Formats: sequence, structure tokens, C-alpha cells
Amino acid sequence: MPWNRPLMIVLLAGLVAVTWWRLQPADGQIHRSQLLMGTVVEIMAGGRPTGQLEDAVDAAFAEMTRLDLLFSSYRPDSEVSRLSQSTRGGEVSAETAAVLALGLEVAQRSGGAFDLTLGRLKSLWGIDGDNPVVPDRQAIAAALAGIGPKALTLDGRQLSKQSGPLQIDLGGIAKGYAVDRAVAVLKEHGIASAAVNAGGDMYLLGQRPERPWRVGIQHPRNKDAVLETVQVDDRAVVTSGDYERFFEQDGQRYHHIFDPQSGFPARGCQSVTVIADSVALGDALATALFVLGPQAGLRLLDQYPGAEALIVAADGSLHASEGWTKYQVTP
Amino acid sequence: MTVGDWLVILPLLCSALAGVAWVAAAPGGTRVVVTQDGQTCFTAPLDQPRGFDIEGPLGLTHLVIDEQGVRITSSPCPRKLCLSMGPARHTGDLLACVPNRILVRIDSPGGEEAPYDLLSR
Repeated sequence: MPWNRPLMIVLLAGLVAVTWWRLQPADGQIHRSQLLMGTVVEIMAGGRPTGQLEDAVDAAFAEMTRLDLLFSSYRPDSEVSRLSQSTRGGEVSAETAAVLALGLEVAQRSGGAFDLTLGRLKSLWGIDGDNPVVPDRQAIAAALAGIGPKALTLDGRQLSKQSGPLQIDLGGIAKGYAVDRAVAVLKEHGIASAAVNAGGDMYLLGQRPERPWRVGIQHPRNKDAVLETVQVDDRAVVTSGDYERFFEQDGQRYHHIFDPQSGFPARGCQSVTVIADSVALGDALATALFVLGPQAGLRLLDQYPGAEALIVAADGSLHASEGWTKYQVTP
Repeated sequence: MTVGDWLVILPLLCSALAGVAWVAAAPGGTRVVVTQDGQTCFTAPLDQPRGFDIEGPLGLTHLVIDEQGVRITSSPCPRKLCLSMGPARHTGDLLACVPNRILVRIDSPGGEEAPYDLLSR
């Protein structure tokens, strides 16, 4: 065969181009994790050039870091800590007002099963610290004095505390709000496919390439097993379980989800998974349902048409809301 | 062929061969990836049993890779919550010791299809 210079050069250049094209990630996907808000936050994003994804994810993490500085109960200079220290309340940022408004609404609708004023009770138990203890009943009663849905009043951005010693704790909702904000930042950067997961509180934006996101739900009593897998897009998935944070004393296990009525860990459920429009709402509802137990919990869920739940009761039985099945992955 | 032909063809050929070699050498299979403060500090294949230590600000965290996956078996952190997380074995699974700033992720550069993308717990 005669030497055909232009043809050979074109063929070789084509080979080089194809080889280097194959070396590039198929769809420009990135996956980053950081320790933030006392948990692991992971963000997966795709569908855009890698540089754009990197910028978007950096901005999303920065937003969550900013919110942590507002909401943290552990930072004495946070807005929430300043509110707890104040005797009457005060003006709050737009972000804190948004979290308080949603939290107070769920607190009211749940009859106080979800509560933003459990700060003193949680400190008493030391559940987030290194040496948790079961407090005596007198101390628990004192820590519950004055709490409840009416303990805080929000008028625009003005928060009023009904009693000075109330300690505000946004732990049941702030992480979810931060995930929602991170998702909003990703959207502002033009990202249409992403997952933001903060220790199990997650939002699934758009779809993975060619299919919805699949989320495994941890089995509450078998850490090696998945209870169910659900398929979602543009939805939040939040799980609260008694296995997440707990300690044992005198052979009894005490976990971190408290019943505001008794001041002790709620005993009606092993875990609750909520699928909702936003992670903040899912976060608050998962806690409220856990405290209320399966029957009362599902009745509360009727007030939130966009939300579905799967509850594992204390005896291990499963209780799902009517629309849950539409998310289940059929084997 | 002239010298000029070779000057064009050889770089193109070398570039194509380098690309093929890079693809062939790329790590395949499922891996355990350990990061600290965003930096990867350890990787190992998930199908090769072994134990290893990662040093964090509190001291050494010991991890084991076995037939169940990878798990944290000892940690200097006060509450030992990371020990109760059980094994990670599917692509995307995460383990973490927040006090000792250690993150463990299962990664699959080969694109293994996991039964789920994320785990809600």
C-alpha cells in the first residue's frame, strides 16, 4: 500500500483524540466530603464541566459553613447561643427567622412533639458531649419548665422568649435547612443534578444520568442491612433513628431524640424516614413522628400533603404513609 | 517517508501509546479511600483483607478491611460512635470519626453499579 501522508496523519491524530477523550470523566462528576456541623457532609454533582462543578460545590460548602456559625449551640458567639443567653430574645437574621418559623409551625401542629426549646434538657443529659448521664427527675422537671410551642414567639424577625432561662436548640432542623441552602446555591450555579447529604439528611436534586437517585434506608437493628431502597428526584430524604447517638447506663439504652412531655428519650419508634419537599421540613417531621409514634405520627403527616414516611415502630413493625409505595424500588 | 514525516508521526504515536498505557494502569475495582481535611491519606483495594492505622489529631484510628467491608475497630475519640457505624462496603458508603477528623469512603473508579447511591441513616 502506498504511503499516504495526509491519511496517516489524520488517522493518528484521530487515535490520539479518541484516547484522550476516553481518559476524561464520562459526565463531569465530582464527589466531595467535609466534616461540618458535627457530621459528614458529602456533595455529589454532575452534568456540567468539572470547573463549574468545583466552583458550585465550593460555594455550597461555604454557605453551610456560614450557617453553622449562625446556628451552632456549641459556639458561644453564634446567633442561637446569643438568643439562649438573652432574657427576652431579640432581632434575628433572615436565615434564623426562616428556621424558627418552620420549627414553630411544626411544633404547633405536632402538639409540642417537636420542640425548639430543649436546649436545657439536652445539656442536662449531656447527650452530645463526652460524658452523658441520666439526670434525676427533679432536674428533668426543672429543665422542662416553660418549654413548648408557645415558649417562643416570632414576629417577622423579632423573636420573643416567654422566659429567660429557655435554651434554644435548632439541632432538629438547622442541619436540614443548611442542606436546603446548599442545594439552592448549587442551582444558582447552574447545577441540575446533585446530591447533598449531611449525616443522613439529604436532598436529591434532579436525576443521576438516566435514572432517579436511589437511597438506601439504614435498618435500625442490623447495621449491615438496608431496610428499603427508595427512588427520588427533587426530594429530601431524612432518617431519624435511636441508633444514631446513644449511651447505656445500668443496662438501659438512652438515645438522643427526647420526648418533650417526659424529658426522656422517646420510646415509640426505632426509626423514622421522611420524604419531603425540603430537608428542613423532613428533619422536623422525622423528629416529631419519632416522638409521636406510628399512629399519631401518620395522623400528623396528613397535614403535610407533599410528605411521606416509613416508620419502624418500637416492636419492629413497619408503618408507611399511603403514598410511600410510589418511591419504593421494586426488586 | 521523510524525516519530516517521522517528526510528525512519532509524537502522535507516543501520545496515543501513553494514553493507552495510562488507561490500562488506572486503578480498577472497588477501593477504600481515607481522607483528612479534604486530602486523601490512604487508599486500598476493598477485596484485599488488611488492617491499618490512620493518625488524627486525637491519635490512631484502627481500621480493618475484611469480607464484610471496611470498618473502624478502635478509635481514640471519647464517644466511640464511629465503632458502632458498622462496615462500609458499597460504592458511596461513608464512615467517619468526626472528633479524629477521619473520613472513609468506598469508591469505585471502574463504575461498579451500587444498589443505592446514598445511605440515609
